[in-house]
Amino acid sequence: MPEISSRRLRSLATTLAVALTLTLAAAAGCDNRREPPLPSVLDKLHESHIDGQAKIKIGVSETEPLMGELRNGAHIGFDVEIARYIAAFLGFQGEQRIQWVALATEDRIPALQGGTVDLIVSSFSMTEERQKLISFAGPYFVTTQEVMVPTRLRDRVRTIEDLRRPGLRVCTSGGSTTEAELEKHQVRAYVVKTVGDCVRGIREKRYDVVSSDETILAGFLSQYPTEFEIVDMPFGTSELLGIGVPIGDPALRDLVAFALQKSYLEGRDGISSPWLTAYNRTLGPWLKADKSQPQPLNVPKLVDFDDKAPRR
Amino acid sequence: MTAPPDAVPAGTAGPGAGTAGPGVVAAGAAGPGAAAPGRAGPPPADPAERRARATQSFWTAVVGVPAVFSVLRLGVEAGGELQTTLLLVANVGTVNLLAGFLTTAAALLSTALVAVFALGAVLRVSVDRMPPGIRRPLFARWVDSTPAWFAVASFLLALVTWPLLYLPLLLPAFVAAFQLGPERLHEQRVPRLLLLAAGFAGYLWLLGPTLLDAARQGEALALALLVVPPVLALFVTGPLPAAVIRPLASVTEAAVLAMLVWAALPVISTPVLPLTVTTVETSPGVTEDVRGHVVTVDDVDVVLLQERGGVRYLPVGQVRAQVLCPSEDELPRRQLRVRDFHVEDSLLEGLGRRVRPVHRIDAACRTVR
Repeated sequence: MPEISSRRLRSLATTLAVALTLTLAAAAGCDNRREPPLPSVLDKLHESHIDGQAKIKIGVSETEPLMGELRNGAHIGFDVEIARYIAAFLGFQGEQRIQWVALATEDRIPALQGGTVDLIVSSFSMTEERQKLISFAGPYFVTTQEVMVPTRLRDRVRTIEDLRRPGLRVCTSGGSTTEAELEKHQVRAYVVKTVGDCVRGIREKRYDVVSSDETILAGFLSQYPTEFEIVDMPFGTSELLGIGVPIGDPALRDLVAFALQKSYLEGRDGISSPWLTAYNRTLGPWLKADKSQPQPLNVPKLVDFDDKAPRR
Repeated sequence: MTAPPDAVPAGTAGPGAGTAGPGVVAAGAAGPGAAAPGRAGPPPADPAERRARATQSFWTAVVGVPAVFSVLRLGVEAGGELQTTLLLVANVGTVNLLAGFLTTAAALLSTALVAVFALGAVLRVSVDRMPPGIRRPLFARWVDSTPAWFAVASFLLALVTWPLLYLPLLLPAFVAAFQLGPERLHEQRVPRLLLLAAGFAGYLWLLGPTLLDAARQGEALALALLVVPPVLALFVTGPLPAAVIRPLASVTEAAVLAMLVWAALPVISTPVLPLTVTTVETSPGVTEDVRGHVVTVDDVDVVLLQERGGVRYLPVGQVRAQVLCPSEDELPRRQLRVRDFHVEDSLLEGLGRRVRPVHRIDAACRTVR
């Protein structure tokens, strides 16, 4: 009797096991035909306004050495290299598919709002104020505000207090975060169009000091290494440089953030990343301390073709 | 899981020897009056001749089905256009066609075979409970007439072509197909349990990080697919109750057939030709990107089957660049890995990615449509 019931139990277990295996197999079969739950890079690309464009319009600076500069008809600099990487990720590879648009500091937001450009990579600080008007992907660089003085003044200007001294003519570019920061520290400044104008003004003795991002100043220092010196001042705030995107195109913002994240992950894993290459070719040799790519914020989860590649 | 190698021939020696071998004896023992005549058919042919005939028809099916399938696919690939189909037929060699078919359909083929062998074996051991006078289920008869090496080869094919996530299902299927109960591990209870515990511990160690990750991501199905099948493998052997056999036989036959048709549709529509974006300079300074599958290249033209249909002949002299693109079907659905192998990769694909780790997608693939 117990033998029979154990046989029954056994065959019941077998039935259950067979049925469960078949159910699991059927579930696996259905799962295999399921659409990917996450949006793919291609989906986002089709959503964004740049889909189908022959060229991508990227706003850059042409007057900031090391960051964005026009030299012998070619755009060069850290921002430009980052812009090229983003463009290639979005499917616009090669100069023939990029339309560079030169933008002054204060023209950047109107250019994005007016559709003159699709993206801006031009030492654009991500501030709350600006995020009401445009979207940012990034940061792709963290910089601090510094002051650059001509070598003749290097012993006279060492602190923020020195900047407030009447008679010292401080210059900065309009619409920049530096302008607001100087105001906060009660430093009166001459506001001109670009940092280049300040530098030219100092060389022509119209101004005494220029204040701006470390990166921009490093660019001019690279042009006139014997005439200027960068003074480390405790302005206290670090600035996050981001890539400006129209506020009405969240898909494009997501794609740019995803591209930056991809480069960030590559760099973190010790492989050479597009960011590192751009940095080493431009800014790297001119900054006092070595930097690495900051982690981009609000990166969406997207599916891409190379997701299955080994990570190690 | 740890079946001794010699268990394979032992489990299948009867059916493996052919229809007229011990399989008949087993069937005869089950239903002396019914099963044997049912299987032998009216002309009591010479066993050797019958075996030869069975082998012949078996191989005809094995070679013929893929061949017919491949040709049918060309029609789908050509967009249903007769002339385009003929162009493809003229330019795609038989070997290329079969190789292309095997690359894309190997997983489906092995799934069908594994399903038939596993279900057939389960039905075959249960068959002695069936009322006399009933024909043996179809799958059981197929298992009877298939050589054991072919069943093993099918499982091997499944092992290397199935996505890793589904591989655990192969374990109960294998155990069922060769009826390898846990008692085969060791005749005594304690060492048997120890061996099983060691096996499970090893399995969990291998999959531990993946399981945690799946739990974190809320992937319930993935968790079930990875954990449950090895447990089921313990119970899947042995005869089924008589009441279950007949419905199981007919339902699974229909299900396997339905699965074949359902899964064959995407396979038929999977391209056999590589997808590229070709840049041509139609006139000086004017370039155009054409997305399509390369049919053939000769001294004069590059012949492209455009993704949206239609054939383009691009003069070789105008071609400036060509890049290979991935297709959208290759996008992963999950973000899970087993020891850095993506769960949707098969073993073969995973190994391939180790050989050529970074696969960059060319920018042109994203924008050209």
